[in-house]
Amino acid sequence: MGGQTGFGPVPVGEDGEPAFAADWEARVYALAAVLRQRGLFNSDELRDAIERLPPGQYLGASYYERWLGAIETLADEKGLA
Amino acid sequence: MTYQPGAVVRVRNTDPDHHTRMPRYVRGHTGEVVAVLGSWVLPDDNARGMARARVETCYAVRFSAADLWGSGTHMVTVDLWESYLDQP
Repeated sequence: MGGQTGFGPVPVGEDGEPAFAADWEARVYALAAVLRQRGLFNSDELRDAIERLPPGQYLGASYYERWLGAIETLADEKGLA
Repeated sequence: MTYQPGAVVRVRNTDPDHHTRMPRYVRGHTGEVVAVLGSWVLPDDNARGMARARVETCYAVRFSAADLWGSGTHMVTVDLWESYLDQP
């Protein structure tokens, strides 16, 4: 992660494994897709917002928790929320 | 497009104060272009919402893991935009 060592291997799922571990993850993914299509942000702004999460939040969050944190950041910054 | 497959390139050793898709672990390292991926918007500009974000050629560049991390026998391939690269 971030080119740093010590985080262990990245688990790779088997073919046919569900793409989402829980329903809320699919909802976060869909929310990001809709907001991107509506022009609230682009993919690079989303990546940037993920990287700008406070380090403690970033390191303690799962993949889609980071997406949700980034969506919240962008919605706030762009005056949606 | 500046580089062809087989070209040896060096990743610029910079530390931009904005989003970039130039991973720290390849900065300053030398690799080989293995594919030309076409023209793509530069993430560094696009992440800042620039109206006229630059569009650049993107390359798949292959590095030796041992060069990057001091151990390992495998190769690592990273997609890198034109302005991330220099001739060594």
